[in-house]
Amino acid sequence: TMLRRMTRLLSGARQARHGEQHAALHYHIPLQDLKTVFPQGLPPRFIMQVKTFNEACLMVRKPALELLHYLKNTNFAHPAVRYVLYGEKGTGKTLSLCHVVHFCAKQDWLILHIPDAHLWVKNCRGLLQSSYNKQRFDQPVEASIWLKNFKTANERFLSQIKVQEKYVWNKRESTEKGSPLGAVVEQGLTRVRNATDAVGIVLKELKNQSCLGAFHLLVAVDGVNALWGRTSLKREDKSLIAPEELALVCSLRKMVRNDWHGGAIVLTLSQTGSLFKPRKAYLPQELLGKEGFDALDPFIPILVSNYNPKEFESCIQYYLENKWLQHEKAHTEEGKKELLFLSDANPGQLERLCAYL
Amino acid sequence: MAAPAVKAAGGWPILALSLRSGVRRLPGLTQVRWSRYGPEYKDPRIDKEYYRKPLAELTEEEKYEQELRKTQLIKAAPAAKTSSVFEDPVISKFTNMMMKGGNKVLARSLMMQTLEAVKRKQFEKYHAASAEEQATIERNPYVIFHQALQNCEPVIGLVPILRGGHFYQVPVPLADRRRRFLAMKWMIKECREKKHRRMLMPEKLSHELLEAFHNQGPVIKKKHDMHKMAEANRALAHYRWW
Repeated sequence: TMLRRMTRLLSGARQARHGEQHAALHYHIPLQDLKTVFPQGLPPRFIMQVKTFNEACLMVRKPALELLHYLKNTNFAHPAVRYVLYGEKGTGKTLSLCHVVHFCAKQDWLILHIPDAHLWVKNCRGLLQSSYNKQRFDQPVEASIWLKNFKTANERFLSQIKVQEKYVWNKRESTEKGSPLGAVVEQGLTRVRNATDAVGIVLKELKNQSCLGAFHLLVAVDGVNALWGRTSLKREDKSLIAPEELALVCSLRKMVRNDWHGGAIVLTLSQTGSLFKPRKAYLPQELLGKEGFDALDPFIPILVSNYNPKEFESCIQYYLENKWLQHEKAHTEEGKKELLFLSDANPGQLERLCAYL
Repeated sequence: MAAPAVKAAGGWPILALSLRSGVRRLPGLTQVRWSRYGPEYKDPRIDKEYYRKPLAELTEEEKYEQELRKTQLIKAAPAAKTSSVFEDPVISKFTNMMMKGGNKVLARSLMMQTLEAVKRKQFEKYHAASAEEQATIERNPYVIFHQALQNCEPVIGLVPILRGGHFYQVPVPLADRRRRFLAMKWMIKECREKKHRRMLMPEKLSHELLEAFHNQGPVIKKKHDMHKMAEANRALAHYRWW
């Protein structure tokens, strides 16, 4: 089977040993893992592909390998290092992030995965004025969705981590000091009005406690340029809201600052969901703006580029093995050259092309 | 004939040019061909294989044809016709028929989404089926498309013929291109009209194509209705004179 499936690697259990020799090969994620580790965060076309093929295969590529190498050698006594994945549209930033998240989940890190920060700054229906801080706004819907997914992803940590302060929700409910974090999450899920505050508390607690060393914390944010851009949300008097006035955005910004240690922060820039940014912008300076760039300043940028010829060949082989490329001419050399020309080795475009061929 | 007021361009004989313009101006004569090209323009040949053949392999007539084309006037190739390996004339024709208001981008994207939807549905069926059935399930969307349209083509059609002041529906054998056109027209009409308001075209089209592939569904029923009408009007077949 190894000879027949030359583009496949052995199962994900050995991914800790992914090295340079595994570049451009696909590795298989068991579907059970997919439900626990990724209740949210996978790109929608990838989810469709997983559903069609009945299996989830990610290609191992250079940016992800680089990140894994850095993460394996992190020094947990130093402040958390920020890694920023940037690149043009469709090159595979989100999937590289998912690869890294899966690796860390396998290594038993606590994953704080925000699937798309752009969803928090646009198209929000229920905006409430925050009870905690009068100037800020709450987003109960988004906060409760995120809490539900956080609970699915990190079940086992919720009972282990204990809260270090007493939090009073309203006249009748409060969370005592020393109770498990699961109680805060439950409170946020049942009382939707306090969901945003619950999220803020969870983030604060995790940040304080990761320094103690009981667990490693991975903060993975997709579309981080949303935190410093503009929002499309308006108050009742139709005046624009700045991102600073959203409670969720504030707590996330505090999380992404590197004043804590015991983990790592992996971020992705994304133009696709961003507001008021030109389509061709992909560099960190363009997408983050001056404010965002200064806030994130010492970070390690990792460029995610189009497929190189070996990766392209591997991708086509994968589709051919799964019989996804049904057109007779797609098997020929001419067909492959044409696919290369039409997609310019861009992974997103290649996927869309092969979908109807 | 009027004195030729135009200058011949490119060394063409003045006679040919003025003959063309003279014919256009004659009263009581309508042009049968609507294209702006004159009859001396030849159609372009798009396939790469024709031009890549080495000189030794060409037959006498092909060599003559290639020499001739060096000096003949050739029409411009339409933008939609490419020398791509993945091109399919049937799919292009169907896309053009689906197009509304010249929006080829939208029509093409709808066609691509339809093929993708057909493929995904067939893959689902494939994974859910047992080993014997898996051999029978066809997953190639192009094969399904062509077979479905072939299944929808009527064999015999009705033509209104005027006799004695009344129009009679006379059964008539149809040409190949008329049959293909009718199949595509019925498919598109069915998908545009008989669907739920919120359902999108690719979803409905993929459903109809799969049903037609299995010889079921409303388009096949329409074909059978046409055949029954032709059978019922069998007696009027004498009215046909060709």
